[in-house]
Amino acid sequence: MRGDQANRLNNGGLIDRSTPLNFRFDGKTFSGFKGDTLASALVANGVKLVGRSFKYHRPRGILTAGSEEPNALVELRSGARREPNTKATTAELYEGLEAASQNRWPSLNFDVMSVNQLFAPIFVAGFYYKTFMWPAKFWETIYEPAIRRAAGLGRAAGVSDPDHYDKAWAHCDVAIAGSGPAGLAAALAAGRSGARVILCEEDFVLGGRLLADGDTIDGLPASEWVARAVAELEAMPDVRIMTRTTLFGVYDGGTYGAIERVNDHLPVPPEHQVRQRLWRIVAKRCVVAAGAIERPIVFAGNDTPGVMMASAMRSYINRYAAAPARRIALFTNNEDGWRTAETAIAAGLQVAAVIDARPDVSPAHRSLASKGGFSVLHGAVAGVDGGKGGIRKISVSLSGGARAEVEADGLAVSGGWNPAVGLTSYHRGRPKWRDDIAAFVPDGAPPGMVAAGAANGAFGLGACLREGFEAGAAAARDAGRSGSIGSMPVADDEAFSLTPLWHVAGKGKAFVDQQHDVTASDVELAQREGFESVEHLKRYTTLGMATDQGKTSNVAGLAIMAAVSGKSIPETGTTIYRPPYVPVAIGAFAGHHRDENFHATRLTPSHHWAAEQGAIFVDTGLWKRAQWYPRAGEKDWLESVTREVKAVRSGVGFCDVSTLGKIDVHGPDAGAFLDRVYINAFSSLAVGKARYGLMLREDGIVYDDGTTSRLAEDHYFLTTTTAKAGLVMQHLEFCRQVLFPELDVQLTSVSDQWAQFSIAGPKTRDLLKEVVDPGEDLSNEGFPFMGAREVALRGGLKARLFRISFSGEMAFEISVPARYGEAMARNLMIAGKPLGITPYGTEALGVMRIEKGHVAGPELNGTTTAGDLGLGKMMSTKKDFIGRVMAGREALTASNRQVVVGIKPTDKARRLRSGAHIIPKGETPGPDNDQGYITSVCFSPVLDQWIGLGLVERGRERIGEIVRAHDPLRGEDYDVELCNSVFYDPDGGRQRG
Amino acid sequence: MADFSWDIRGPLDRALVAGAYGAQGDAGVSLTEIRNFDLVQVMARRGKAGETAKAAKARFGIAAPETPRAVAAADATLIWSGPDQFLVLSKDGRHSIESLAIVFAGSASLSDQSHARALISVSGDKARAMLAKLSSIDLHPDVFGVGAAAATSMDHTSVTLWRGNDRSGQAVFNLLVFATFAESLWHTILDSAAEYGVTIGHSEEL
Repeated sequence: MRGDQANRLNNGGLIDRSTPLNFRFDGKTFSGFKGDTLASALVANGVKLVGRSFKYHRPRGILTAGSEEPNALVELRSGARREPNTKATTAELYEGLEAASQNRWPSLNFDVMSVNQLFAPIFVAGFYYKTFMWPAKFWETIYEPAIRRAAGLGRAAGVSDPDHYDKAWAHCDVAIAGSGPAGLAAALAAGRSGARVILCEEDFVLGGRLLADGDTIDGLPASEWVARAVAELEAMPDVRIMTRTTLFGVYDGGTYGAIERVNDHLPVPPEHQVRQRLWRIVAKRCVVAAGAIERPIVFAGNDTPGVMMASAMRSYINRYAAAPARRIALFTNNEDGWRTAETAIAAGLQVAAVIDARPDVSPAHRSLASKGGFSVLHGAVAGVDGGKGGIRKISVSLSGGARAEVEADGLAVSGGWNPAVGLTSYHRGRPKWRDDIAAFVPDGAPPGMVAAGAANGAFGLGACLREGFEAGAAAARDAGRSGSIGSMPVADDEAFSLTPLWHVAGKGKAFVDQQHDVTASDVELAQREGFESVEHLKRYTTLGMATDQGKTSNVAGLAIMAAVSGKSIPETGTTIYRPPYVPVAIGAFAGHHRDENFHATRLTPSHHWAAEQGAIFVDTGLWKRAQWYPRAGEKDWLESVTREVKAVRSGVGFCDVSTLGKIDVHGPDAGAFLDRVYINAFSSLAVGKARYGLMLREDGIVYDDGTTSRLAEDHYFLTTTTAKAGLVMQHLEFCRQVLFPELDVQLTSVSDQWAQFSIAGPKTRDLLKEVVDPGEDLSNEGFPFMGAREVALRGGLKARLFRISFSGEMAFEISVPARYGEAMARNLMIAGKPLGITPYGTEALGVMRIEKGHVAGPELNGTTTAGDLGLGKMMSTKKDFIGRVMAGREALTASNRQVVVGIKPTDKARRLRSGAHIIPKGETPGPDNDQGYITSVCFSPVLDQWIGLGLVERGRERIGEIVRAHDPLRGEDYDVELCNSVFYDPDGGRQRG
Repeated sequence: MADFSWDIRGPLDRALVAGAYGAQGDAGVSLTEIRNFDLVQVMARRGKAGETAKAAKARFGIAAPETPRAVAAADATLIWSGPDQFLVLSKDGRHSIESLAIVFAGSASLSDQSHARALISVSGDKARAMLAKLSSIDLHPDVFGVGAAAATSMDHTSVTLWRGNDRSGQAVFNLLVFATFAESLWHTILDSAAEYGVTIGHSEEL
């Protein structure tokens, strides 16, 4: 078959005959030309059967030549790049293209599942609900898997997409959807006036219907006019022409979504390039020149391969020089359809007959028929005799009642045109019905948007140019552009005459929605069963819910519904239109944000040093934090963490705590400000001292905690938890700007300015003596617990030193400007080597805080009060603060609240797990007896057993009580003792020492 | 006593590899990290915006921006960062926080951000095309001229973006990004720029 192209016409077409391209369809090799789509290349090679239908596995061919195609869906490419449900009508041909038909087994020609047709009576609308209701448990295990195997479309690749996608923004005065006559005219007017224009065209060539329908504009052949218009536009620096780009949605504030198929026309995107790009276009105005979609007429056998939209047939013949059939019959109810007969004759093809549903045809067409030697039949196509090999015979019921038969291998159908009303209706707009063209047209549009040309129901070429030009000029004017727009392109308006015809009664299946196999009788059944509203009709029959979103079927479906329910079409109405206009790959929406780039990552100043040390990192929000530092020979994380804890408790260790939020609070009222946001006082804090602070939400629940130091009269340095850093900054800004604008206070995040390390353990001072300038007094007297001040380091660098402890050991936190952070880690290692210094990670940090009974994220969980955390006494009674009043509510001060308490297993060898529920001894686990749960657990190297913290009803009053820890998730149930939450050094001597 | 030194490590020191990256041929995007700058946040105290402006004018010889703009003084750039606040970007300690503390004593609060940000300068024929992938800001020359500035986000990361003076006829876009996000954003920038070809370098010159 290679190089055959038996149905390629000898002349014409916008194909490059000097560039032949080989491709494979279902394993067979064919050839086409550059400029072909897969569909046109298949047409040129005489391939009529391209797929099997969704439900009945009926043989299907190519119906259209555009993105409205319901039938010719293929799996494009192979392996990881396999792309199911790709429309052959828009897939650009490239050398080596591989495509496979879908939904058939074992082959397209012999499909076992086509027996479904024999069972067609049970596959009617709503059959899932009717047939598979009983027994209920069979649904998930038997029915659904079986149905999924039998029905459905292409297969997903099943492996990760190897290609890249990205997203970009664009800005313009006027965005234009579509480059047909209206779109080009709009672009010319707007561009000439000086507007910034973005012209989006989903095809790979500009021109829209002009590519297929020729005509004359400004006295020039359309192709020449298009070339001139494009050249003029390309010369304008602020006009951007985007081919292979579909404007698919409109969003708030004049933002439009567009998908650019950057490299879909190549087998593999070139290195460093993306496959597709998602555009967010911000436009002051938008002209929708998206054209119209020719609509089918529903009749028995209308899905037979070889039945094709009349305009699509002209596209294949004129644009692609490919003959869909040798002997063509035309079934039309309007004047425009006749152009297909003219086109066929001009291309040297035979016209078998024209079946015209109108009472009369023009004298010009009559003479065309007599010259062409074909008959004009007044009536309608009642049935098609054919199958997977195509059409054999067409049966016609004549308007007099008689029947006729036409022998043809192709049937062109034109039922009129539906303006593409999607974009204009996406903000819940409902299109309005126009009787004169028997079609829905836009009734208003989202702000800034206007439809022009065929998309607005103007079907004549002259009218399209006029509307487009005027819309483009007005849009530019509205955007403030006033340059000269030059002269308007002019063309004749063709006569428009249509007699509405939606459905021809006949024997056999007549398809409304070919992709979802919804027939006219399904629509009638839905009406009989009460699903008369179009929204119900849609859901019950799945009409219009396939990947084509009913572009060729919706209007016919509701017209049939209108007829059977005795209403008019506008009374029946349309369903809601929603974006996207064409399917958009999820990968394009994700863009760069996949795998390790799923979100931005934050690295601490000592990150790369920690990586060198072999640290295991944990994701904490956006941060990568060193979780522990395994050493050779350690068998698991617990062994490493236990070693780190012991090293700190017996010697000295350090941990990067730069992830804590850090905020500079400046100004004469800084102290007063902090008094209001914290429950405890800060205005009374002496310069050079630090204090632990707790802040509440407005509702009295604890928001965040941290240490705040006073570095100068008018300068505090506030720290937050890692998790809440950004939120606390927002909260404080809100307090400053909105709640307390009278206070003179300034806030700056300095989280990234400082590298901060916690240095802990009894040998901390010995270590610091090596790092800090010998002139600095680090004794208890010179630098007491909770002291905070600037110190000089050896080598002259200034640092901030805070004597605070999270571990319960003698500890300091030291801050240096971030670019010295890595040097600080290295220097601590050097200076601490004789002391056996040990870097520790977040796990050891957590173990030591649990041993000390310090609360953290699991306890500050958005439901606890200061009292619950054992910090109720911190709530100042001498001042007001955020959350004070609401914290006094009855329920928040009730005596039976769940409060923080220590928990240890009665069996010392048992491991605790957080999440286990606390149940009183002897009670049955359940919501009625649930008294709280274990919030944090760790293995305590000091106590040599697992310990935990929990939130337990009246926990502090029940110290010593044995209760049940019930863990249905892990199937565990064991006894634990409620105990003091401070497991280690309860009087705090070590941290003060 | 241990022998150690205080080497500086910038947030992009490891990720930045000077030279060519991405598509071959003439680089469409040029990326330069500017290292070791001084950056001070100046925030007028309540009711002291006028005094702050006067002090800035006296110090820098130009008025500090009151709208999203960046203005170049002889030895510093003042970048708008919010109502009644701006950043002072300079080199070699000429406008360190210690020296500015005297200038703005009583009128403004200062916060040192010298280590809190990385500064990346973007230019080249394709600079706008690349930045369009990261920024929702319209960078058309008629809209975002020399001196235009924006406090915005790129790749979900806060950045301060401004257009500096053209260099060899080409627009220069500067972006200040928080230091701990810098490596992550850098990789995103490289991914976005790769198709245009990139030339990468670093400089101590503002």
